[in-house]
Amino acid sequence: MTYSDLTLHYFLGALRARSTESPQLLTGPGVHRGAAGSRKQGIWVQFDVQVVAGMIRAARFLAFGCPHTIAVSAWVVEQAIGQAVRPALPETVARLCERFALPVEKRGRLLTIEEAWTSAVAACGGTPGVADGLPQRPLS
Amino acid sequence: MNRPVYLDHAATTPVDPRVAKVMAQCLTAEGEFGNPASASHDFGDAARSRVETARAQVASAVGASPDEVIWTSGATEANNLAIFGIAQYYREHGRHLVTARTEHRAVLDPCRELERRGWRVTYLEPDGGGVIHPDQVAAALKADTVLVSIMHVNNEIGVIQDIAAIGAICAKHGGARLHVDAAQSVGKSAVDFAGLGADLMSLSAHKAYGPKGVGALLVSRRRSASGSGAGSGQRERVQLTALQFGGGQEHGLRAGTVATHQVVGMGLAFELARAAPSSEAEHIARLRERLWRGLAALGGTFRNGDAERSVPHVLNVSFEGVEGESLIAAVRGRLAVSTGSACSSALPEPSYVLRALGRDDILSESSLRFGLGRDTCERDIDTAVAVVTEAVSALRRLAGT
Repeated sequence: MTYSDLTLHYFLGALRARSTESPQLLTGPGVHRGAAGSRKQGIWVQFDVQVVAGMIRAARFLAFGCPHTIAVSAWVVEQAIGQAVRPALPETVARLCERFALPVEKRGRLLTIEEAWTSAVAACGGTPGVADGLPQRPLS
Repeated sequence: MNRPVYLDHAATTPVDPRVAKVMAQCLTAEGEFGNPASASHDFGDAARSRVETARAQVASAVGASPDEVIWTSGATEANNLAIFGIAQYYREHGRHLVTARTEHRAVLDPCRELERRGWRVTYLEPDGGGVIHPDQVAAALKADTVLVSIMHVNNEIGVIQDIAAIGAICAKHGGARLHVDAAQSVGKSAVDFAGLGADLMSLSAHKAYGPKGVGALLVSRRRSASGSGAGSGQRERVQLTALQFGGGQEHGLRAGTVATHQVVGMGLAFELARAAPSSEAEHIARLRERLWRGLAALGGTFRNGDAERSVPHVLNVSFEGVEGESLIAAVRGRLAVSTGSACSSALPEPSYVLRALGRDDILSESSLRFGLGRDTCERDIDTAVAVVTEAVSALRRLAGT
């Protein structure tokens, strides 16, 4: 399998960021979590999103999946911070496939990322932050 | 820029410089470039002499007679010639074959093709360590079984099968010929074609520091008695139907001009393998255990294959909590190893060998095969441990596992 430079950039960047410490899960007011997939199925993604005044202040992700899954999840988090909350990925799945040169067989994996993301941001719709009640280990 | 540490010797090995040198001698005008089938001049005689020397070298390395060596383009062709050749020749005696789930695809795919053509194939299940027990073979034999094909050393997990015991069972049956895929064996485990009781054996040069593109099928010239199955009674020498025609080379079993430089390379490579001191295998075994200890310290690691019955050159490990494609991508660039998934498409398939051992899909995909070679050193092992430890740890954190 070969990967685009962009895929490798975000995949290896995510690995480097986790080379010494675990990703810090978001906690506190305005934090919402969404997850999709299953490790047993080979792909699982979770996003934590912190929303303040309708804007995404912080976002984190956990992912069990292929390099494309990890790279796109990292890119989504990077792009979303500072943006207004909306129930969609920063780009359409089709555009993300082009951006990351995803093989057609892997498009379904982006749908899992989309489901996890929209699940997280959908929870932001006026509901209070539940971070303090969230499990600190991810579910799958 | 540093090259990655190469630990994929079970996939292929570099050609030994001494082998490359003798091969080059058979290519140019100053050397033995003639057609070994040319009987009308010295160029042909000289090339033929080199080919026959190589044949003797290969035979000597594996306990065979020179006239039992049939040159092929590699082990895949040898496997095809053995399986289709036996099936065709003995089709009036029976149409049943026995093999194992853990065979290389160069055996499994011909068997599946024969199934499509009307033959029946019994696929034996290994135990959790990858071992096929001889009594499984005995139980699978039927009156019309014409071939048993069991590999000597498994390419993914390095497990050695008890070929001698299986050979005795086939001899007792009488009608079942034994084919052994020994592509991984030479240089890793002692091979004694006659002693193992095999009728046919496939060999490869490039797994033993020889060139790619050449191998051999050993075809036994022995006769044996007894048996109760197809073709029983006074057992005739094993016979094959040729698969290709056009020149009658190699006793009519493999038509085509023999590639002098390739077989000369294979001959010397096998001679060097045979002459390797036992201390080499002991050294590699120590390195493999050093590698395993280093990786096991990670936790959540599973050694695949029966360690007590494996060649020292192969270590196969599954890593819990990581996804296989990401694992191989994470170590790539610093470490050359094989993954436990078949990447024939964008979506990797879990290793069927590891699944046959009872591993689930995720653990089968998240495995790495480390193939150690004669030049592997402690520094390589320590680098591999460090690279894999870093990658697995980071992926586990990323996955929250």
